[in-house]
Amino acid sequence: MPLSRRSFLNVVSPLRTGPLPVSLMAARGREADFALGGSPPDATGDGAEIRIDSNENPLGPGPAALEAFVRSFPDAGRYPTNARPSVADLREAIARRQSVRPENVALGSGSWEILASAVRIYTSSSRHLVTASPSFESPERVAEQLGTPVKRVPVDKDGRLDLDKMAQAARWAGLVFFCNPNNPTSTVHSAKAVAEFVARVRRESPETAILIDEAYHDYVTDPGYATALGLALEHPNVFVARTLSKAYGMAGLRVGYAIGQPRTIEAFNRWAITFNQNSLTVAAAVASLGDPAHIDAERARNTEVRQFTTRFFEGLGYRVLPSQTNFVFVEIGRPSKEFKEACAKHKVMVGREFPPLEKTYARVSLGTLDEMKRANHVFTEVLGKRTGGGGASALAQK
Amino acid sequence: MLRTEDAMAFTRRAMVKTLGLGGAALVAARRDAWAGLVEGAAASPPVRPLLLHNNENPLGPGPAALDALRAALGQGESAGRYVFRNLDELHQTIAGKFGIKPENVVTGCGSTQILREAVQLFTSPTRPLVAGELTYEECAGYAELIGTPVRAIPLDRSLNLDLDAMAEAAKGAGVVFLNNPNNPTAMLHPAAAVTAFIERVGKSSPETTILLDEAYHDYVTDTAHKTQIPVAVQNPRVIVARTFSKAYGMAGMRLGYGIGHPDTIKKLDAWEGAAALNVASIVVAIASLKDQPRLDAERDRNTQVRQFTIDWFKKAGFASTNSQTNFLFVNIGRPAKEFRDACRAQGVLVARDFPPFEKTHVRISMGTMDEMKRAVEVFGKVLGVKAKAA
Repeated sequence: MPLSRRSFLNVVSPLRTGPLPVSLMAARGREADFALGGSPPDATGDGAEIRIDSNENPLGPGPAALEAFVRSFPDAGRYPTNARPSVADLREAIARRQSVRPENVALGSGSWEILASAVRIYTSSSRHLVTASPSFESPERVAEQLGTPVKRVPVDKDGRLDLDKMAQAARWAGLVFFCNPNNPTSTVHSAKAVAEFVARVRRESPETAILIDEAYHDYVTDPGYATALGLALEHPNVFVARTLSKAYGMAGLRVGYAIGQPRTIEAFNRWAITFNQNSLTVAAAVASLGDPAHIDAERARNTEVRQFTTRFFEGLGYRVLPSQTNFVFVEIGRPSKEFKEACAKHKVMVGREFPPLEKTYARVSLGTLDEMKRANHVFTEVLGKRTGGGGASALAQK
Repeated sequence: MLRTEDAMAFTRRAMVKTLGLGGAALVAARRDAWAGLVEGAAASPPVRPLLLHNNENPLGPGPAALDALRAALGQGESAGRYVFRNLDELHQTIAGKFGIKPENVVTGCGSTQILREAVQLFTSPTRPLVAGELTYEECAGYAELIGTPVRAIPLDRSLNLDLDAMAEAAKGAGVVFLNNPNNPTAMLHPAAAVTAFIERVGKSSPETTILLDEAYHDYVTDTAHKTQIPVAVQNPRVIVARTFSKAYGMAGMRLGYGIGHPDTIKKLDAWEGAAALNVASIVVAIASLKDQPRLDAERDRNTQVRQFTIDWFKKAGFASTNSQTNFLFVNIGRPAKEFRDACRAQGVLVARDFPPFEKTHVRISMGTMDEMKRAVEVFGKVLGVKAKAA
């Protein structure tokens, strides 16, 4: 009998009778504000929200991961160094999966921690951060807390990072944050472009560290793309961040990691939150990493939904940037806040504002195919067909 | 139905069996990639040493917590979602337990994250950290990392934190760290002494933040002890740190919290927020907070084991400090390393060196009663205790 999600649900959750009560939280940090803005609880109880606002995997972890997680509950009282598998086993499992050595791997409580540590280690009031605009904001937020100056380089007319301008801005910088594919614009740079960028920055500003965030790596299908792990192993102060929050479906379980030269990795380990790994999550992550077929299936699933959703928006006449992620960035030609609020009324939760493109673009994460079919009805109602198309886009005008 | 069964006949063996229900079906369904892992887990693993080195709770969280966890993770979905939506319920539950407000509560990846946030925000190269010379090291470690000087105040002759000297050193300091009861010395300062300390520092150095780490609070049996939570919610310069790692048995699930004045809490929360929090840990913590009988039983269990072990050492001629925690600090009159290595060779792990007492004292965490009965046999052999003494 094949293992369906339903049968697994019976295994781990004989008790579940309905969704957990969802309660709104008080404002707790900027990201949470955004996540919750306009998200009323499901008061009626029928028809759950479609949550396509935070680039999560709608299916969660695979059965092997969940089974391992719950099975290791007897180790909940043990620090991750004592649990079986232990945090050392997780480092080894990642190293094995990526064909590197354990001393090339630093673990984080999600890749958020890796990004925060990178800014704390490599920047200062005299050594600025370079990031794209828009890009994932975590690094610039940490820089602001530290009083580190930030140079924001606008994306080009196709929503791609402007690598030429970023390389120029990198002179004397402490750190360059290079999100590839980029959140929220969903676009990717080829392996060749990344290698040339790294070589140029290494040549023109050898003291500058480069953080390549590959959070969405597992969702990329573009054959021109390749991971920058090789560059990270080759160069000091170049490192790659990865997360199990996306294709691995473990956003709520908090595992991310950095890969780089041992010296770089030692610095991350010094800055890491003491015991930043959850013993149960360690078991789930080890199981996941041993199940590459599950990730392949998840990529295929996401690719299908991405194509479907892209075609849907294009059918209505809206431009969709070429996505290599589990979300699409759509030129809706109106403020994303309006769009978000209108969709929320129909229990469809889409992404927050992404300045400086918040007046024209919206980010829509990809749920299941079924969820997207339902969401598209709402999008059609809220947006309607684009009229007077063919006008210059906000990006093209830059 | 299963909930009732679990609650009525709950043993560790039964729990593992319950957890494993899916094993056979899963293996049959997907023999390829991960079958080895599941089968490996089912086969009897190599015998684990007795883990008496990290002040863990040997039992972990209770059955109610497991029920909650299974219910929450059922569809896999919530494990795939960021925790934004679960936090409010956790903060409300913590606040409810202490009769305070959610805005008095900040949560972190273990209390370690709270401790380092406080050091980050309230110390600087010109505003040092004051800590006991022998205390939980998280604060001093982080201070070194960010370039904050540390004023380490030696213990007094009875191995207590020297509150007079610490209050004196607190003048002009950013943070004074008070671990009560103190790890690794296991002893407690009574509420009256802590209150006097807070008042004194408040007068002599009003800009100094007093960071009270009450990690072992739930194991205290001395009636002279009181939590400083009521003070912390009123006084912007007092923070109480708590953890689910000890009596709640969640060391592996990484959840702790800070309690303080809303202004202070806001600052702590703004630094790193909830980004490091685990959705499953939140679910288990909420269920555990609602299970007061479990917590009471855990305290009683620990008290019994603690007394048994203290008595054993006393009979054998070795003095322990007056432990109010889930570990002992014992004067074995010989280097901890020697003792530790010898015990390890016989399958018992005890804690690392704690200078400047590493030549005489060892820290031993409390396991279950059965584990401690086995452990003292090993201790007896290693220390050359005659059978009748034990």
